[in-house]
Amino acid sequence: MARAIGIDLGTTNSLVAHVDPRNRPQVITVDEGRPLLPSAVHYAADGTVEVGASARRQAPQRPVDTVLSVKRFMGRGPGDIRAEDRGISSFDEGGAVVKLRVAGGTRSVTPIEVSAEILKVLKRRAAEAFGGPPGGCVITVPAYFDDAQRQATKDAGRLAGLEVLRLLNEPTAAALAYGLDKQVTGTFAVYDLGGGTFDVSILRLEGGVFEVLATGGDTHLGGDDFDRVVAARLLREGLTPPTATPSPAVLRGATAAAQRLREALSAEQVVEADVELPDGFRLAARLTRQELEALLLPVVERTSEPCRSALRDSGLARVDGVVLVGGATRTPLVRRHVQALFGQEPLSDLDPDTVVALGAAVQADALDQGGREDVLLLDVIPLSLGVEMMGGVVEKIILRNSTIPASATQQFTTYADGQTGMVIHVVQGERELARDGRSLARFTLKGIPPMPAGVARVEITYAVDADGILQVAAKELATGLEQTIQVKPTYGLGEDQIEAMLIESIEHAEADVTERFLREWRVEGDRILGSLESAFAVDAELLKATERAAIEQRLAGLKRAMAGDDYLAIKAWIESVDAATQAFAERRMDKHIKKAMAGHRVDEFAQAPRTTREGGDEE
Amino acid sequence: MGRTEDYYSLFDLPREFALELPELERRFRERSRQLHPDRFARAEPRERRLSLERATRLNDAHRALKDWRLRAAYLLKLAGQDVFGEGRTFADPEFLEEQLEWREALALARADGDAAALASIAARARLRLAALEAEVAALFEDPEWFSETVWEIARRLSRARYYDNIVSDAERG
Repeated sequence: MARAIGIDLGTTNSLVAHVDPRNRPQVITVDEGRPLLPSAVHYAADGTVEVGASARRQAPQRPVDTVLSVKRFMGRGPGDIRAEDRGISSFDEGGAVVKLRVAGGTRSVTPIEVSAEILKVLKRRAAEAFGGPPGGCVITVPAYFDDAQRQATKDAGRLAGLEVLRLLNEPTAAALAYGLDKQVTGTFAVYDLGGGTFDVSILRLEGGVFEVLATGGDTHLGGDDFDRVVAARLLREGLTPPTATPSPAVLRGATAAAQRLREALSAEQVVEADVELPDGFRLAARLTRQELEALLLPVVERTSEPCRSALRDSGLARVDGVVLVGGATRTPLVRRHVQALFGQEPLSDLDPDTVVALGAAVQADALDQGGREDVLLLDVIPLSLGVEMMGGVVEKIILRNSTIPASATQQFTTYADGQTGMVIHVVQGERELARDGRSLARFTLKGIPPMPAGVARVEITYAVDADGILQVAAKELATGLEQTIQVKPTYGLGEDQIEAMLIESIEHAEADVTERFLREWRVEGDRILGSLESAFAVDAELLKATERAAIEQRLAGLKRAMAGDDYLAIKAWIESVDAATQAFAERRMDKHIKKAMAGHRVDEFAQAPRTTREGGDEE
Repeated sequence: MGRTEDYYSLFDLPREFALELPELERRFRERSRQLHPDRFARAEPRERRLSLERATRLNDAHRALKDWRLRAAYLLKLAGQDVFGEGRTFADPEFLEEQLEWREALALARADGDAAALASIAARARLRLAALEAEVAALFEDPEWFSETVWEIARRLSRARYYDNIVSDAERG
């Protein structure tokens, strides 16, 4: 059976791990004998794409064609890119989506495509290690990632041909690896300072349930910022000949030197550097740990407020333990800072570089097997989700730190006489005004019957799934007019664009694509036949004879289609079987969880309840 | 099943304001284990959807019951008294003066950057919240609770919102 994998798609490095046959999570060697794949993608002018350490080595010579830290651009619009991130890359201006111009200016790529290149290499390495393609995967994201960033990550997974079972928050993944390892009970803070993102999560661990109580962070804070402040100092004081406007190549070289100095200073008290940079520049510098810490302190202090606010939100006065995650937590200054912040020595006995990938592997393995009895992760949404009201004020619909999946419904009314449309602007964040928050989507509910202001009632339902991804439904109550959208378009790629890229990425001809779809739909058909067969064996009594006969008839049709070579026919029959087994599936589900839902009798199922998205609770 | 059941019955708990929080938490974890979408990642799409809907409802119920303010508002709503629905607000003239005093104290402590004063304001507001919770609990115990009681509870919930804001403003500094 294909093995499930866990992927840590990091700003600086990416990893892939799996659970071995002896039930231990293990990282897979991916690049030059190491488990860390530098998240660097080099696009050569001749069209070749290189990923990893070899790509990163090209960065100083070919800074524009080598994309580093692409995670900072995920789910962002061109207007969101910060000046310090723009510096080196070349952007395709205009359009709603960030595009990087690479390969000597001959090609434009989105951050999703760049991330997919990294994921493809991880997938290939896993396949080599297993001797066959990997199964489903879990990809980790910063807990503080908003909806657009999560959606972009999921799209990158799909584009790389991965079956993404779940997005998992990085601190939660670390807690999973850590908690399982230590069999702990109590409350914990996970302080995760990676290459480009900072997260803090407060969790309660009890009886195998990892319940996130609160989370906080900054998706623009990490080791990259350390390197930037150190590089700025090196350029100011050690560059010959001096220049106020260093070229991209010089900047890249200085950043690389800064990173080496900083890492060396985790162990040494003083280090020296003397490096040749491109274009005849030379960088010579001497740095003491004390000087380094003075440079880093303002950056490290930016982690304090998210920690305090997460602790406040968790309702806890203190935690039983603090766990360090992320390469940047190796810095002694960071450790001292965390110790002062939480009033205790942080734990770091697991490798801060690999612990997230290991946790992701454990979760992927568990999901692949239909969940583990002994472990459950309950995560939260990091930022409140709201809607813009008249006057630009945000009305929050789902509050931050709500356990996911979550939903909430609110009613709104028209403000003008005869108003027939209502613009619904979906916003994420804690700020009071919509323009200060993150705009996720904007759509118009049309066709409201003309009525005096304040009479029409529009009900808006937000539903966040277990990946933290939002779906919004709007419904006019008098007419029942309803619209549902998967919130994605603003900075993401449309479904059709992803499909097109997938087809494009299959290098061969149309026939091969058809062949591939046919194979995939046959596999899907087999899966449905198998699962229904076992469902009939266990729960035959939940079906009336007529229902059973109707299903059998459609199954016969599906089998006929699967023997043929028209994948669209198989797809259509699968949909038909799906429709015919709807009530059966609901009854089975209810039967198997009836213990979970108290006071419920199996015989009520005779009424075959229909579940709708109408959101009409008990009101 | 599902949408017509009230939040309490999801946890098999009596529909009362007085609630043993540890017991709610225990049952929440136990039911989450059975319903959570993680248990259905490899199931049929439809089962996945059902699990998602039920887990969502369980989480929504847990959120509504674990906090005493939301729990009280929910009980009033079940009794047909949606006191906070449709942006209804309260006139609470007696409370107005007290509100102004709190705001003034807060503004003063902030202007002075006086952390001790801010902490003391937060602590005092928390005491008020605890007192309000006890009063609301007593009102729910009243066997004859209705019309008058409903408004007594609603007024306290509205005041609690106010103290919540004081606490968070004072703690943010």
